Amino acid sequence: MSAPRVLVVVPAHDEEESLPGTLAELRERAPGADVLVVDDGSHDGTGRVAREAGVAVLRHPVNLGVGAALQTGFRWAVARDYDVTVQLDADGQHDPAYLSSLVTPVLAGRCDVCIGSRFVSATGYRAPWNRRLGMLLFSGVVRLALGRPISDTTSGFRAYGRAVMQVCQHDFPKDFPDAPLLIALARRGFRLDEVPVVMRERHAGRSFYTISKQLYYPYKNLLASLMALIRRPI
Amino acid sequence: MFLSRTQLITALGAVMLALYVLDLVRRRKLSEEYSLLWVMATTVIAVLGFSTPLLTWLTDALGFLGESSTTFAFGLAFSLAMLLYLSLKLSRIGYENHALTRELALLRHEVEALREGREGAPR
Repeated sequence: MSAPRVLVVVPAHDEEESLPGTLAELRERAPGADVLVVDDGSHDGTGRVAREAGVAVLRHPVNLGVGAALQTGFRWAVARDYDVTVQLDADGQHDPAYLSSLVTPVLAGRCDVCIGSRFVSATGYRAPWNRRLGMLLFSGVVRLALGRPISDTTSGFRAYGRAVMQVCQHDFPKDFPDAPLLIALARRGFRLDEVPVVMRERHAGRSFYTISKQLYYPYKNLLASLMALIRRPI
Repeated sequence: MFLSRTQLITALGAVMLALYVLDLVRRRKLSEEYSLLWVMATTVIAVLGFSTPLLTWLTDALGFLGESSTTFAFGLAFSLAMLLYLSLKLSRIGYENHALTRELALLRHEVEALREGREGAPR
């Protein structure tokens, strides 16, 4: 029986400053995992620095969104028979030291998606108040839908098992795969679990969360979560 | 609560449309982002239709002559907003279409070059 194959997918849009550091850290802390960078229509040298780092790179000709980039990662992972895929952000907020704690429950068959949560245990992380409100709201909706609480619905630091990848490669949210996705997956019978992680500040570059997005996001996600409750599963 | 005939027709029409939109979402025919706009629009029209006090207050505030004008004005405003949104979406899709076409042309060139190289034909 061969060793389980782990793929780390790094969706990246205009992250040429942060990416080299993130990839170097991955190489050092998780040498057993394969890495795929999905360059989501970057205008800067993101694709180039990924190639120079010697990892596999897929380049979208246009920018589709982080969810779509992850979905491309799933297509790649399924085609190459990976057992588990972990999303790791290009900006350095996700610490590769947590990879094994995310991957182990999925490989052991205890769950299908393992979420790295900032809130499971007291980690001292305090998001800005508006983000906290949004997260609280969604935790509530998700708990109602799943029958179990998920404390961090917006964490992108997740491990996905093979069965989930098969489904997600065909249909996946194009921007933020948060509460509506978790609801849709739960409705399809997949098991979700959480492990505690500590996230860090970005290495460099700007955050994606502009003011207009911060206002629009909670509202949009709430409605999308309600839609996820009524949509026919894939 | 007195509802004029216009209000009743508009409100019921909006509710029926909202239900139809939700069914399209359920059957995965309508993607999430469009469904949000349609549900929002039909909800507002339905609320206006079923709530006479709100409708009257709005009509006075906006200076319209009749309640039905208010309902139609909102309907028109949403139609224009939806058309504008669709124009933006189409613009983006048009741009992406061009970018993809260009990528295809470049890839095709690479494939042809590789194919010629592999067959050993002098280039």
